[in-house]
Amino acid sequence: MRPRLHRTLLSGLALAISVAPALHAQQATRTQPVEGIRDNGTGFHALVNARAVVAPGQVIDDATIVVRNGMIQSVSRGGNAPAGARVWDLDGLSVYPGFIDAHADLGMDAVPEGGDVGPTHWNPQVRAWFSTTANLQDDESRRAALRSQGFGTALAVPGQGIFRGTGSVVNLGDAGVRDRVLRPDLVQSIGFQRSFQLGGAYPNSTMGTTALMRQTFMDADWYIRAWAAYESSGRAFLPPETSEALGALEPVVQSTQPVVFETTSEEEYLRAQAIAAEFGIDAWYRGSGQEYRILDVLRGHSEPLIVPLDFPDAPDVTDPEAALNASLADLRHWYLAPTSPGQLSEAGIPFAITADGLASLDDFLPNLRTAVSRGLSPDAALAALTTTPAEWLGLSRTHGTIEEGKIANLVVSEGDLFTEDATVRDVWVQGTVYGVTRPAQIDPRGTWRIASSDEWGFDAALTLEGSLNALQGRIDIAGGPAVGFDGGVIDLSSATVVTETGRLEVRFPAESIGFQGSVLLAGSIRGDDFFGWTAMPNGADPTFSGSRVEAYEGPSRGAVAMNVPDLDLPFIRPMMEYGVSSIPEQPSAVIVRNATVWTQGPQGRIEGADLLIRDGLVVEVGSNLNAPGGAVEIDGTGKHVTPGLIDPHIHSGVSSVNESGFAIVPEVRMGDVLTHNNIWMYRQLAGGLTTTMVKHGSANPIGGENVIIKLRWGALPEEFKLDTETRTVKFALGENPKRRQNRYPDTRMGTQEIIRDHFLAARDYERDWQRWEQNQEGIPPRRDLRMEAILDILNQELLISSHGYRQDEFLALVRLAEEFGFRVQTLQHGVEAYKIAPELAQSGVAAIVWSDWGAFKLEAYDATVYNARVLMEAGVVTSLHSDNSEIASRMNWEAGKLLRTGLTEEQALSTVTIQSARAIAIDDRVGSLEPGKDGDFVVWNGNPLSQFTRAEQTWLDGRRYFSLEEDAVLREQIDRERSQLIQAVLSAQGGRGNGAMRRGDSDGSK
Amino acid sequence: MRKIRIASRVAFLALAFAPAAVAAQVRMTVPPQSVPVAIQGATIHTVTDGVIENGTIVFDDGLITAIGTDVTIPAGARVVDGTGKHIYPGLVDAYSTVGISEIGAVGVSSDVNELGDFNPNVRADVAVNAESRHIGTSRSAGVLVAFSTPDGGLVSGMSSALSLEGWSWEEMSLESAAALNVNWPDPNPRRFRGFGGQGEDPPSYEEQVQQLKSFFAEARAYRDALGAGEELRTDSRYAAMVPVFDGEIPVVVAANGAAQINDAITWGLEEGIDIVIRGGADAIHVADRLVANDIPVILTSTMAAPGREYEGYDGAYSMPARLHEAGVRFAISGGSGSLYTNRLPWEAGVAVAFGLPEEEALKAVTINAAQFMGIDDRVGSLEPGKQATFLITTGTPLDMTNDIEQSYIQGREIDMMDIQKFFFEKYMTKVMQYLRMVM
Repeated sequence: MRPRLHRTLLSGLALAISVAPALHAQQATRTQPVEGIRDNGTGFHALVNARAVVAPGQVIDDATIVVRNGMIQSVSRGGNAPAGARVWDLDGLSVYPGFIDAHADLGMDAVPEGGDVGPTHWNPQVRAWFSTTANLQDDESRRAALRSQGFGTALAVPGQGIFRGTGSVVNLGDAGVRDRVLRPDLVQSIGFQRSFQLGGAYPNSTMGTTALMRQTFMDADWYIRAWAAYESSGRAFLPPETSEALGALEPVVQSTQPVVFETTSEEEYLRAQAIAAEFGIDAWYRGSGQEYRILDVLRGHSEPLIVPLDFPDAPDVTDPEAALNASLADLRHWYLAPTSPGQLSEAGIPFAITADGLASLDDFLPNLRTAVSRGLSPDAALAALTTTPAEWLGLSRTHGTIEEGKIANLVVSEGDLFTEDATVRDVWVQGTVYGVTRPAQIDPRGTWRIASSDEWGFDAALTLEGSLNALQGRIDIAGGPAVGFDGGVIDLSSATVVTETGRLEVRFPAESIGFQGSVLLAGSIRGDDFFGWTAMPNGADPTFSGSRVEAYEGPSRGAVAMNVPDLDLPFIRPMMEYGVSSIPEQPSAVIVRNATVWTQGPQGRIEGADLLIRDGLVVEVGSNLNAPGGAVEIDGTGKHVTPGLIDPHIHSGVSSVNESGFAIVPEVRMGDVLTHNNIWMYRQLAGGLTTTMVKHGSANPIGGENVIIKLRWGALPEEFKLDTETRTVKFALGENPKRRQNRYPDTRMGTQEIIRDHFLAARDYERDWQRWEQNQEGIPPRRDLRMEAILDILNQELLISSHGYRQDEFLALVRLAEEFGFRVQTLQHGVEAYKIAPELAQSGVAAIVWSDWGAFKLEAYDATVYNARVLMEAGVVTSLHSDNSEIASRMNWEAGKLLRTGLTEEQALSTVTIQSARAIAIDDRVGSLEPGKDGDFVVWNGNPLSQFTRAEQTWLDGRRYFSLEEDAVLREQIDRERSQLIQAVLSAQGGRGNGAMRRGDSDGSK
Repeated sequence: MRKIRIASRVAFLALAFAPAAVAAQVRMTVPPQSVPVAIQGATIHTVTDGVIENGTIVFDDGLITAIGTDVTIPAGARVVDGTGKHIYPGLVDAYSTVGISEIGAVGVSSDVNELGDFNPNVRADVAVNAESRHIGTSRSAGVLVAFSTPDGGLVSGMSSALSLEGWSWEEMSLESAAALNVNWPDPNPRRFRGFGGQGEDPPSYEEQVQQLKSFFAEARAYRDALGAGEELRTDSRYAAMVPVFDGEIPVVVAANGAAQINDAITWGLEEGIDIVIRGGADAIHVADRLVANDIPVILTSTMAAPGREYEGYDGAYSMPARLHEAGVRFAISGGSGSLYTNRLPWEAGVAVAFGLPEEEALKAVTINAAQFMGIDDRVGSLEPGKQATFLITTGTPLDMTNDIEQSYIQGREIDMMDIQKFFFEKYMTKVMQYLRMVM
């Protein structure tokens, strides 16, 4: 039987002690009339005998802190309490400056029923007008919860929408809302996740969110100019629209008010940074806890970075079969997340710590101690909770340290808050004390000899030990006829101290002494004397008395130590399987000797040839080439060398694919949502792929702008982008764009019409601007990114690459473009492209098709593996594509399938190299091994079109991104790390911090 | 032979097209073999008895009568010159839905999943559409025998062995109830509760296993009662199970995870039935036990992604080689259902690129598949007495650099046309018209 543990006091009772009610009212001028009798405590306190950590790195032992009228009047070593001050003896306790949470959720997230009213913004996710000051609410429990973790001040941020409104600095006392605001509406809050409660269809993707941010910043700028033009005209025409949201963004676009971006991954941090740079915004960041992955990016940045302590649970490794599913990414994150604050500190990157993002606020201090045990110094931790946020929030004059003249925000703890299993006892906010945990008024621990002299006479030893909040104990009782049993040791199921009255209450099951029910034992303690009585199940109630015979000498407050083995996990990017310490080096020259080189250019396929690369570019293909000294030599004997393969239609490598909120969304850009941690990128490299076009999904007649990337595994997302002028946009025809309910179009007819209407709208938009530029009359037109993108389409600067299946829909689009005087660049999928091969050839449309995919839907039923062959016969530039991360990793075999349609080997390979490059207009850079092109090539162990052949090396920019040897090394490293980390999870069980194991959940946390 | 190699458009123009002939047929079914045929001078890959260089294969009335270098050609036989050609047995796809599903996203075109958890009595062959487009494309890829297989529930029904030539399913069916299919429950199901957390949890893993065991116990009792001479009202489901308990047909258990495979093996041993594991993504982790109990595996995803991020990029590609090394017996199936049965050869070929000896890869899509599924007395290798179901090729059918020139099914020289070639010929005619106009 295990004793049930009881807490001495509930922290929820904090207010019960209320030392001096309404001390906060002291001396301040208040507008509200007093009802009843005034409340005038002295507001004059002296905290004495404390160990005061007055600022990071500054400790005063035996400090006296005098608080008067909410402010710190003096801080001194030793010293006496001034006469008249209420004295608080903090002997044995520590005092810290009150913590500041620079990103707190104070419950400002209620959405009014029926939605927001008034001229706010057309998009319900844009709530920039929402003020946390104007909407400050009383949420006592949240404040109390934050205080219980040491916080006295917080930046309250709104929680709803993408543009969420302004955050205000408030104190966390229980004064009324008028007495809590320290700095109203200091910062605009923006997040990348939409709130479903607010409704609205658009945006429903990350790139849509980014596009909305972009457009809204531009609209805010226009809004200022539009109203200025209106006013300066003497109101000579109708006023512009009214938007509270755009108005509220004025200080943001004028860089007088910062924006705090809430990020949920290190990639979102990078995206926020890019948006901030694009619009010259003064940006703050609420971090994700994944900052340890981008220290190199963060180094040197001084924008406010506010990090959470949300440490993940350990993956389930309870049995070997479950352990099979634990990914290295999850295991590493479990192990490394608690080291993130320490790593930031060590790298000299300024940061603050927030309690935001935790499943339970009660995890905050334990997680903070875990972070300290994992490398964060206590001083740095304190700074991240006090001086650093104080500086960013403009509170340095008043907050952050314990100094004369500052506001009296203090944390009083039993034990060192950062290194020990300490308890917050009190938190002072502006001179008012809030009890968090009650101190023990008596300490009953030790061994007592208690004896009863009446008919139930017993003689027992009562031992109490453990934490005062959770006493454990036993009764060692001698047997005897009077007792009615043989004696023995009874474990107490509960032992509770009611400290206020000096009483001890103990309960244990009566079965242990031969009865049914419970035995209650209660007594009063004073010093080492004990007097009490017992209630037996049979109604007897013998009294007893006793004295302490042995003092308690249990362990002192436990120091929090690291509970995981010290592992050496090198930095890798991405932070997952097959991550690498850096991108591969670029040798000044590389030469492959004596290989069968498929140039896919005018030189054709040459046997026994050499390929020379310098500084990442192809120099020459030929026989017996001279290589510069120091060139990396590859023996190509028996090998085949081809250009790096290209897949012009793929969806891996982005964090979302479809923006389906509107039918027409060319303003969204896949380049905004690139990721660098998709395992498929590595696998694709292993299959010889080097370049891909990552496409928007097919939910829209006009979708988003695609992005062309090179598979620079180990780089950051932005570094994947191919440096090219070529821009393409996704169109989609046929079944997909019409299957979204309650959104036009519902037919192929409507699809063509909505495209046509938007083409026409863009021409109108262009005319509006031309008119404005000529006469500058009226309200200036607004820049509309959607219209600008469509104009780019009409001007063939943004090339159409259209998804579709059937001949009818393609032909209609090709003719529509011709009607507007331009050309469709490519069609994609094109399962029926072969049926209009001559029309495509004549219009100059390239075809990007599958080798042998079809029949998975009705419009794909007429698929034929001869598609590419027929198109090529008609003279259409024809490429293969995968539209599938996995297939993309074996495009050589996709091309090989075409051999049976009668294509030559070089023709077949051209559909995944040079023709692919031509199709998307990047053939100036990639697709063939010609002088001046990128040094992207693959070394194969045989004919690349054979099912029996595999890639041995994949080079990109003259760097070796994949090789079988390196792959073997990485696998060994992964196996080693996984087994070390699984052992670490097992050894950490039962320990604190670093999370418990979660069962039966193999979802990644990336 | 309809294959045309082109070097240039001009070269292509020189070829004469015969549009009238194109219009005449899509894929014709041919009559049964009427005269003996001997193919001479070819390299014959028997699979079970080595490779015969410059060999002759003789077949009559649909069956192979002789193979070798020194065989007597019967009088009246049609003699075909196979010089420079290779002859392979027709490939056997142990797991397919050919004929019972047509267009992926068109639900009504699928007859794969019957309602309910226990359907041992349903048989695939009666639902096979002999005119399915996928039959022609599968044949063009060298797949001449396929096990069309129901899915869904815990006991899905009977796989039917189909020979891919015939006017109707009846002519195509080699074995109507070839194997019983069981879907082993998933101990870690992804629970989709729908938006807002609504919806019921599926039965737990333990409950589902219990249901399965209970069903088998009831079926066994039914068979025992019949054996004891009890007069019973017929239960179609239990009656269909009798051959399983009599050891006449195997139970194919779909299981991928290590825990699933282990639990399925335990169950099979308890039941005393012959099981074959289908799926087997984690089979390598259970290899010793599979070997110890001589349980074969039908791999359904060799040309596939590894299941876990830490696994090698070639985790699935190299699985056959690793199983081979560990001594596990396995077949390789098309895995992607009817739409892509034509990819069966690539599923086996990829294993060769990643370490499996070529002859083992060939076995995995011929004799092993036939043997595990109990039809190796008829197909799966080239042996006298077996059906004359084979391919004439320019090399191994597992590599796309080789061509399959002509196939025979039960001695019939089949029509090599399929819907994809048909569209090719039709629309090449349009391209030709266009090129004549612009050139």
